[in-house]
Amino acid sequence: MGSIFESKELLIFDGGMGTMLQAHGLKAGELPESWNISNPEKILEIHKAYIDAGADIITTNTFGANRYKLKGSGCSCGEIIGSAVKIAKEAAGSKLTAHDIGPIGQLMEPYGTLSFRDAYDAFREQVVAGAAAGADMILIETMSDIYEARAAILAAKENSHLPVLCTMSFQLDGRTLTGTDPLTMVNIISHLGVDALGINCSLGPKEIIPLLARVLKHSTVPVIVQPNAGLPIILDGKTFYDISPEQFGQYMAETAKMGAAILGGCCGTTPEHIKELRKAVSGLKPVRPEAVKLTAASSATATVILGEGAKIIGERINPTGKKRLKEALRNGDMDYLLKEAVAQRDAGAHILDVNVGLPEIDEKAMMVRAVFELQNIVNLPLQIDSVSPDVIEAAARICSGRPIINSVNGEKKTMDTIFPIAKKYGCLVVALTLDENGIPEKAEDRLKIAEKIVNRAEEFGIGREDIIVDCLVLTASAQQKEIRETIKAVALVKEKLGLKTTLGVSNVSFGLPDRELLNRTFLAMALTAGLDAPILNPMAEAMTDTIKAYNVLWNIDKEAAEYISSRSEVNEQPVFKEKEENRSLKKLIVDGMKEEAALTVKKLLTEINGMEIVDTFLIPALDVAGQKYESGEIFLPQLIQSAETVKRAFEAIKDNMLKNAGEVTGVSKGKIVIATVKGDIHDIGKNIVKILLENYGFEVYDLGKDVAAESIVKKVKEEKALMVGLSALMTTTVKSMEDTVKALRQHCPDTRVMVGGAVLNEDYAKMIGADYYGKDAREAVKIARRFYGCE
Amino acid sequence: MYIDRKEVLRYMGYRGQNIGHTTEKLLNDCIDEVASVSKESFLYEIFDVEHTAEGLCLKGTTLTLAGEDIGKHLANSEKCALMAVTLGLEVDKRITFYSKTDIAKALVFDACATAAAESLCDTVHEKIETEARSMGFETTTRFSPGYGDFSIGIQKELAKVLKAYEGIGLSVNESSIMIPRKSVTAFIGLQREKSDKSGHSCESCDSKNCFFRKGVE
Repeated sequence: MGSIFESKELLIFDGGMGTMLQAHGLKAGELPESWNISNPEKILEIHKAYIDAGADIITTNTFGANRYKLKGSGCSCGEIIGSAVKIAKEAAGSKLTAHDIGPIGQLMEPYGTLSFRDAYDAFREQVVAGAAAGADMILIETMSDIYEARAAILAAKENSHLPVLCTMSFQLDGRTLTGTDPLTMVNIISHLGVDALGINCSLGPKEIIPLLARVLKHSTVPVIVQPNAGLPIILDGKTFYDISPEQFGQYMAETAKMGAAILGGCCGTTPEHIKELRKAVSGLKPVRPEAVKLTAASSATATVILGEGAKIIGERINPTGKKRLKEALRNGDMDYLLKEAVAQRDAGAHILDVNVGLPEIDEKAMMVRAVFELQNIVNLPLQIDSVSPDVIEAAARICSGRPIINSVNGEKKTMDTIFPIAKKYGCLVVALTLDENGIPEKAEDRLKIAEKIVNRAEEFGIGREDIIVDCLVLTASAQQKEIRETIKAVALVKEKLGLKTTLGVSNVSFGLPDRELLNRTFLAMALTAGLDAPILNPMAEAMTDTIKAYNVLWNIDKEAAEYISSRSEVNEQPVFKEKEENRSLKKLIVDGMKEEAALTVKKLLTEINGMEIVDTFLIPALDVAGQKYESGEIFLPQLIQSAETVKRAFEAIKDNMLKNAGEVTGVSKGKIVIATVKGDIHDIGKNIVKILLENYGFEVYDLGKDVAAESIVKKVKEEKALMVGLSALMTTTVKSMEDTVKALRQHCPDTRVMVGGAVLNEDYAKMIGADYYGKDAREAVKIARRFYGCE
Repeated sequence: MYIDRKEVLRYMGYRGQNIGHTTEKLLNDCIDEVASVSKESFLYEIFDVEHTAEGLCLKGTTLTLAGEDIGKHLANSEKCALMAVTLGLEVDKRITFYSKTDIAKALVFDACATAAAESLCDTVHEKIETEARSMGFETTTRFSPGYGDFSIGIQKELAKVLKAYEGIGLSVNESSIMIPRKSVTAFIGLQREKSDKSGHSCESCDSKNCFFRKGVE
């Protein structure tokens, strides 16, 4: 069945359904899918009109037949889809039917409140109903969010054997509403095992053509195009489209000549358009252009292509040898991870390696959380780094982009566990040139292992361009003569296999003085041998500078443009203002001078200990800022800048404690779990409360926004926290706050609950059973300090 | 895009304090950044108002508008424009990013975006006014879900009627919260006589101690 898309003929889909239904009297706001039950004869009539117009495949009237849109309609997903497919099959006769699946209509996390899991479940319900009713294929269409498209494709592949087509909708700026570009779409979706992919809706054929060219260039599967009937124009409050059926046909013939193999229409197109389309392409055959294959990793909104200049894989999210990160992982302190990620990105990392393996934590849960949080904050592709296949699979599943898996090696067992995961989720894979017998001494033997891995990958259907070879760096202090073998192996892998390469560069200097000198020299050697993606610490300027220099000398950075601009940045860096430093720390805090305060604290730490700084400078300064806020002398942004400044000072003190004592002690004034309740997504207010509480020494466990009561209860129990802070901003979510308070009463009777948020007041807080009402962040701090006896 | 500084300051509870160099710079940076990352888009449609036994209806739609206040607002209107505007998801992304990395900036950025959404509403309102006048109508002020007794529970239905998700990417979650966050929906009545302009305002609101209340110095 999948082979029909490789057909010798162009395949013609039908056109718009919504437009036709409106012409038949569908009201604005009415559920179009309900007509499958209430007006089946009208639906049948529309389908038949498209068949008569020359469509090979008709699309069921099920675009919005998901459990979220059907809520309150009185119809179940199964009923509607069952009926829709039946009508379509009746109309189709010997032609084919496509089970239509549109977006759920709610934004997914992190922007909205729909989780990946919930989206998957909703799609699964649709897929199962469509397959049971006998549809011939699944058309996942009009997707804006690549994450949602991914959930739908997985649901389709895991719950049916039907062919799957997937289209996304782009705006005039060449991106989907959530920011995905055509290359990123192709790079993610074409590797998920779809039978065809393409573009539909939002734009007319004329605007789609340039985007289509970008899709065709790299797509390894047939490409589908279903444009609107031009761009919408509003006349007298009604929507019209700006091109005629004839023009539509002409443009579509052009897309066929470019290489699109499956053609149809979307909003505003009618049987008339499809008739003209059929006429215009008569005599045309599919031309499948040869796809340019890339070794490319993607986040949801950006793609990094290996082989076009050295690409840095940031290594800092890896607890090995990093006390502060270990502590953060043990405490579930995601903010620290995010800070590391942002810092690496700002320092020039192109991809982030993520390794959260610590024996004392649940690596799988932590990896899933880390990947989720990181992809929400940083738009860099991720490299999932773990020795456990379980962890790798869980992370690959919830990743919104196309990640790299780190790693497989030449052992058959490893390959046979990791490759199926890579294939299913469309990941790239790092291949280590070692096997059962360890790391071969000679470059030629490492090449042999690389070759073995690539061949095995191809047996799993993974292209050789999706393998990135790591020829392994040994330490010069222990295995000096083998350093050259690594360099030689990189060159051999490039020459003989034509594969992309990676290396964990900093290993080379282990155990020797002035490591950076060895690292950067080795890096330069490896780059000229053909290293594409060094794994290194992007915060080490010597390394990133070496790459910048290499890019000039290797004729990658044309006219040294980037190099020159990076050098001028170096010169422009502000010199530390001696004058500011001499201002008192308290004043720096009250004035919100972050950098200066952190530097002053670092200096002070050479004279007095951290806790003394907290008690004599930080807290009193915060009190001053707080009082000024209460008296109206300063306003909210100024108070928060002081809080940010204290936070930075605290970080410096913590780092210092870790360095000297190996742990952070004596700071905690008590534990507080905080969250924005289920259904609500406002978290600036909550974050303000959090930073102030932390400033005053509380250990705050921030569960984020849209948090279910069960998760809050679980965390409170785990940490034995005696206080919880809940935030809700809308009248509609106060109910969920009330439910959360109830759940806490039942399961954690000793824990006190403080609530806050725009729609609350003292009475309301009492009514929902809370213990305290914090009208603002200052008040919340006072409540917590009184409760924990700090005053 | 116009972002009203005074409004931005009001959203942050400003009561005439000395703003200071650091905050001034933050404010200016955020105004520029919001203007550069906003993807302003809007939809509107004009419907006939029908007074039926169930209440106020918009003809050709599934909408019934419950509540005394919206009833009063549209009492003299023969037609009604339903509008939806959004600044798009990039603004949300930045707010999320800054609330993880620099909460003061998140706050100021958020306030600037709110002011930007308001100003986009003004622009769309003007378009509707022009169209209304060509049909011989004057417009009322804007009236949004959440004003007075008009429940925000209606947001989802409004989005459906305007096909707001398909058109401009505006979705409504199960708690009736619009996403992208910086989005507004509103009703504007079209009536024959000039509106007295006394729409929903701070003076007419019961929340006397509101952080955002106008005219408190």
